[in-house]
Amino acid sequence: MRNDAPTRTNLLALREELSLARLGRELLDQKRKILANELLALVDQGAELERKADEALAKAWRLLEDAALSDGVLEVSILAGAVNSDAGIELGRRSVMGVQLPVVRTSFTERGPYYSPLDASYRVDAAAAAFREVLSMMGRLAELRVSILRLAAEVRRTARKANALEKIAVPELEAAVRRIADRLEENERDSLALMKTVKARLEAAAAGEA
Amino acid sequence: MKYFAVGDEDTVLGFGLAGVRGRAAKNAVEALSAFREALEDGNVGVVLITERTADLIRPQVEAWLASGSFPLVVEVPDRGGRLPGRPGLRELASSALGVGA
Repeated sequence: MRNDAPTRTNLLALREELSLARLGRELLDQKRKILANELLALVDQGAELERKADEALAKAWRLLEDAALSDGVLEVSILAGAVNSDAGIELGRRSVMGVQLPVVRTSFTERGPYYSPLDASYRVDAAAAAFREVLSMMGRLAELRVSILRLAAEVRRTARKANALEKIAVPELEAAVRRIADRLEENERDSLALMKTVKARLEAAAAGEA
Repeated sequence: MKYFAVGDEDTVLGFGLAGVRGRAAKNAVEALSAFREALEDGNVGVVLITERTADLIRPQVEAWLASGSFPLVVEVPDRGGRLPGRPGLRELASSALGVGA
C-alpha cells in the first residue's frame, strides 16, 4: 500500500509510474514469448539430436566391446594411445534477448594413426570411427543442452518479473492513483461548498448594510 | 579447444579411440579430481562426463552448469545406457514454461 500525499504532483507522478509499469510488463511478456519460442525450437532440435547421439553411442559401445573381445582390452587401450586424430572445438557465443548462449563447432583433424593397420583389427578401426561420429554430435548436443538450461532459467526469471509487475506493482499503483484522485475531487467539493458558504455570508452581510 | 572425458575406464578408452583425452574415475574423490582437472585446463572446451560418474559429484556438476561458464559440461550415457528417471530436454523445457504455456 502506497502512502503518497494526495497532491496533484503526486498524482501525475504516479500516473507516469503506472504507465511505465504497464509498459514494462508488456515488454517482459514479449521477452518471455520470444525466449519461449527459441527454447521450443532448441528443444525440438535437441531431442532429435539426443536420440541420434544415444543411438550412435550405443553402436559405438557395441563395436568397442567387439574389439575388446576379439583383440583384448589391453590391445585396444594400447592402440587408443596411438590414435593421432584430434577433435577440435571452436567455441562462440550468441545472444538471444540478452541471454548468452554458447555455440560449439567440432572439427576433426584426422591423420593416420601411429599404429600399423596390419597390427590392428578392423574392429578397432570401426570402434574408433563410431566414437568419432559420436563426438561430432556431442559438441552440438552440449551447446543445445546448455542453451536450453540457460533459456529455461531466463524464461522463469522473466515470467516472475512480469508477474510481480502485473500482480503487485500495477494494482498498487492503480489503487494509489484512485485514492489520490478521489481525495482531490473530495477536496474540490469541500472548497466549492466552502466558497458558496462564504459567498452567501458576504451577500447577507452586504444586504444587512444596505 | 579440446574435449575431455571423465567416466569409467571403458568410456575413457572409447573416446580415447577418437582422440579425446580423459581420466577414469571409480569413486567420488577420483571423479572430483578428474572433473576439476578438466575444468581448470584452459584448453578444454567441452567436458564429457558419464551420468553415473556425474551422480557421484552431483552438487559440483550442478553448480558448474548453473554458473554458466566454459567449458561446457555434457552428460553422456555409459555402456549401460541412459540411467532411468532423468528429465529429458523436453521435461526441462516444459517445467520452465509451466503447464499449458
